[in-house]
Amino acid sequence: MKTLIIGEIINNNLSSGTLEILGKAKSMELETQVITVGSDDTPTIGLNETKQTYIKRSNSSLNFSKVASKITEIIKNEDIKLILGSSTYMCRDLISFISVDLNSSPISNVIDFDLHDGKISTVNSINGGESLYKAKINSDHSLLLIRPKAFDPAEVELNTDYETIDVDNSDIEVFDIYIEEKSGPQLEDSKVVISAGRGMVDKENLEMIVTLATKLNAAIGGTRAIVDAGWMPYSQQVGQTGKTVKPDVYIACGISGATQHQVGMKDSKYVIAINKDEEAPIFQLADLGIVGDTLSVIPKLNDNL
Amino acid sequence: MKIAVCAKQIPDPANEVTYSDGIINRPDEQVLDDTDRYGIEVALQLKEKFDAEVTIISMGPAGTQKGLQQALQMGADKAIYVDDDSLKGSNSLKTANVLSELAKSLTADIVIFGTESTDGYSGTVPQQVSRFLDVECISYVKGLEVGDNITLTRQTVEGSEKVNMPEKCVISVTAGGVEPRYPNFKDIMAAKSKPIEQISLGDLNIVSEQNVEFLNVDTVESSKAGEKIIDEGEAYQEIVNKLRELKVI
Ligand SMILES: Cc1cc2nc3c(=O)[nH]c(=O)nc-3n(C[C@H](O)[C@H](O)[C@H](O)COP(=O)(O)OP(=O)(O)OC[C@H]3O[C@@H](n4cnc5c(N)ncnc54)[C@H](O)[C@@H]3O)c2cc1C
Repeated sequence: MKTLIIGEIINNNLSSGTLEILGKAKSMELETQVITVGSDDTPTIGLNETKQTYIKRSNSSLNFSKVASKITEIIKNEDIKLILGSSTYMCRDLISFISVDLNSSPISNVIDFDLHDGKISTVNSINGGESLYKAKINSDHSLLLIRPKAFDPAEVELNTDYETIDVDNSDIEVFDIYIEEKSGPQLEDSKVVISAGRGMVDKENLEMIVTLATKLNAAIGGTRAIVDAGWMPYSQQVGQTGKTVKPDVYIACGISGATQHQVGMKDSKYVIAINKDEEAPIFQLADLGIVGDTLSVIPKLNDNL
Repeated sequence: MKIAVCAKQIPDPANEVTYSDGIINRPDEQVLDDTDRYGIEVALQLKEKFDAEVTIISMGPAGTQKGLQQALQMGADKAIYVDDDSLKGSNSLKTANVLSELAKSLTADIVIFGTESTDGYSGTVPQQVSRFLDVECISYVKGLEVGDNITLTRQTVEGSEKVNMPEKCVISVTAGGVEPRYPNFKDIMAAKSKPIEQISLGDLNIVSEQNVEFLNVDTVESSKAGEKIIDEGEAYQEIVNKLRELKVI
């Protein structure tokens, strides 16, 4: 089946989400090409075995609708049937626009898909991750938004060999672009993640989380409750409206375990939870649950590591 | 200025969701989706500045209309909705088609959404509506400043960026950006006399079809609960042992 992956760039390279989808496409032996959208000058995104086209847009214009029109044109010209993108801000916009052009509803939050008799069937998570929905797509085109960490990434060597297409700016100018500083291990690729919730009681107590993270070489995450409270930047939010992580060990400190938080961490291999409420939902998915006060358990843990 | 805010009635999230043939069972009494409160809040802040008219648009079984009432209690002026059996289990594209037709019928300048509904959670409808209406979509808005211009701050993967709101557009608002207001007793009483009007599906130009065939739905098994230890001062040792066993230390 002729397949298009809409790729994204992170740190001048293909994003992990793009590589995960590419990994899946390769394992299914789909006839794949990639169109990567970004605003870097010459990102290292070329692929040896797969056709890569770079759609270069200016980040000083909100022009994803124009990018989408360009992609729709390519899909029609090349008779592409399957269109895949990560569940990211950009791909959600692009695939939604394209779905109207192609009159084919997309499926969001896909965690697996398959091809049978020329039709795509999917498994996607609905209702904040509480249920899994299986469906078959009957339209000419299939458009899927894939959740991060659903597939193993393809191992690829990247180069700078690809065709570049420029798109026009829209009338909407973008300004005050702010890039959050990132330091230390990153959530998406750390083997250990320590997350804090309102049960850390006070912003200042996050110091002990930082200490623990340094000792374990871990990335730090948080719940939306504390991100909204300004304890942590949004880039560290784990959950439905934040990041999805899948570390070897996830340590939840003072987190109740709302479903919207669970979607972002439930595939962690080993979950340790510290919460003073014995009934907290987080314990339902904890491999090791400590019913206790974070402010007493974590300092002792720090002293003994 | 005419503003349409899309709001969805959903089953009370405190209760467990059940399905029949892949379609969520919707009780007669549904509540306003919390996600939509953020969109309504943005609309009301614009209304305060520009004397705009704010209309709630909605699709789905109306039931007791409690969720619509809740939206009006926050301060919207009126509500219109489509409730048609043939729309049950609609995919995101068809939903967007219906909502964009409702927005057109109001000649709305600005159409505002939450980023994704709590139940369906596809997160594509605002963008699709903008495409149907042929206007730009300012997605993932997490804040607004109302001055000479209306400046919207968008959430991006790396941080944030700002744009000025054009005269016509669709906006999707992320949870957390603004603080939705709570209605007081007066607001609740006032909402009772605000108009709620049903629009017939037959009056709308629907071009999209169901392309997704339901096969099966399952609740995710998350009950892998392991051991639970009550801390009596030494529980940290269990964590240390475990981290050692897992070779983290
Ligand atoms: C549309 C939508 C999207 C959302 N997206 C996200 C998302 O992406 N990520 C996310 O995290 N949330 C998200 N939420 C919010 C989510 O529903 C919860 O409100 C949030 O996760 C709760 O955060 P929390 O666990 O820090 O706080 P709470 O729910 O308040 O829990 C605090 C916990 O700490 C415990 N505690 C208190 N003091 C102590 C102490 N001294 N020692 C030990 N334990 C203590 C309490 O027992 C409690 O269990 C979303 C909500 C909506 C509606």
